[in-house]
Amino acid sequence: MDGEKNRFVHDLRNPLNTISINAELGKLTLERTGDIRKAISIFDTILAECQQCSHVLETLQDTQFTRGNNGDSESEKR
Amino acid sequence: MADVLLVDDDKRFLDATVQLLSLLGHNVTAADSVAQARDLIGKNVYTHLILDLILPDGSGLHLLEALPAQNKTKITFITGHPSIKFIVKKLYGSNISYLIKPIDLQQLESLFEVNTAANTKPDSLIKLHFNYLVGESAPMQYLYEMIERVAATKANVLLLGESGVGKEMVAEAIHYASQAEGRYVAANCGAFSRELINSELFGHEKGAFTGATHRKTGVFEQANKGTLFLDEITEMPVDLQPNLLRALETQKVTRLGATTNVDIECRVVSATNRTEQDIAVSGCLREDLYFRLAVFPIYIPPLRSRKEDIPLLVQYFLAAFNQEYGGDIGINDASLKRLMDYDWPGNVRELRHAIHRAYIMADQQQKLLVLPENLTSPFSKVTPQPQAGIRVGKTVEEVERELIESTLEHFDGDKKQAADILGISLKTLYNRLNSYGNVEL
Repeated sequence: MDGEKNRFVHDLRNPLNTISINAELGKLTLERTGDIRKAISIFDTILAECQQCSHVLETLQDTQFTRGNNGDSESEKR
Repeated sequence: MADVLLVDDDKRFLDATVQLLSLLGHNVTAADSVAQARDLIGKNVYTHLILDLILPDGSGLHLLEALPAQNKTKITFITGHPSIKFIVKKLYGSNISYLIKPIDLQQLESLFEVNTAANTKPDSLIKLHFNYLVGESAPMQYLYEMIERVAATKANVLLLGESGVGKEMVAEAIHYASQAEGRYVAANCGAFSRELINSELFGHEKGAFTGATHRKTGVFEQANKGTLFLDEITEMPVDLQPNLLRALETQKVTRLGATTNVDIECRVVSATNRTEQDIAVSGCLREDLYFRLAVFPIYIPPLRSRKEDIPLLVQYFLAAFNQEYGGDIGINDASLKRLMDYDWPGNVRELRHAIHRAYIMADQQQKLLVLPENLTSPFSKVTPQPQAGIRVGKTVEEVERELIESTLEHFDGDKKQAADILGISLKTLYNRLNSYGNVEL
């Protein structure tokens, strides 16, 4: 159970981290270089990572549903 | 400008961080595996190594072994959870930094502030006990022992002492000494408005009351797995104290407007400048709550009972002000003697303020503090010392007896401790008690 939970936490933390770094990069890029093309590509990366988070959350929702009915049976998940 | 080797297997994170560090003016080399990084370390010299702990072909820790023995590379681990700090610190010492995900610019920049970081420590000549406390006198040594003992347990602590003795410093020292995983959170019960006290302590859900536009976590939740410092606990309205008692008893809190509760596990360090006797008589603290909070009461000595610490404290504050103002001010013997002769009713806080004021008035030619003509503060006369039972008309014997008896009471009848604190031999203590004729030997 814990291993499963930890994997979800890990799977969410990494895209959040990429979002954070890219948001800082986007700010700094606009402040220092004003390169809008570059900034747009950075925002695209952020959006893609948001999708990734959302995907993980969907999987999490399904897993909790399964766990609620079947205790901690590992084979039911995913 | 730094030469950075960044090692992480998450390509998008790696790309963005390389660009970010380059924009900040650093030379960055990226690697996505232990093998590649090891290869680079063998060929180049880096000022900073930032690495993920877990990489596809092994642990980032293995790279530390690849570093040359006498290297000065600054090591930083990227980690998802602060608790990893404790494990790595045990293995490799504390000279390692951490970036905790999600990483922001401030965290990254702090890694390169080498000079300012080295300067933030005030004068290293003065020993800090538990990172916060200054003083080598007997009452302080006793206090340190109490801190050390209680830090090893999970017991709640009640700090007793006059205003200005440094209750918050002791609370932080206890947190430091207990190496808790969670945070230190301080709250002043006297500063909360009556309406908001429950929400400050336990938090609330969005919409729980008019004006609750956001969900808010209370100080109990913020201090989970850490230390919660509740200052001026005796100023909390008595009719609101049962909520606090319940939280301590059940180790659960319920945010206002919430239907479920949250488990909490934290040490509560509370503080008051009232005496235990005053607490009992005035009824400002419910008895059941008192026993929950004061599992381990600690009495912090007033400054006048440890005057030998004044030179150390003066040095410490001078060093801090010299650093803050970039100055080089000292103190002469005459001024120091005046500081030691004064009895500091406002304790260390008053001493600090006096040094600050004297620092501003300092003689810049001679580089010396200039004390005011009169040290007494307006408060020193207004504030009577509540627990000192000294009145005009009492005999010295009566005062002495009262002092001995209340000291004994404080230490639950432990004569050895009482004698130590009173600064008399155990034999003298017995003799005195004998003469009062009320002692069972």
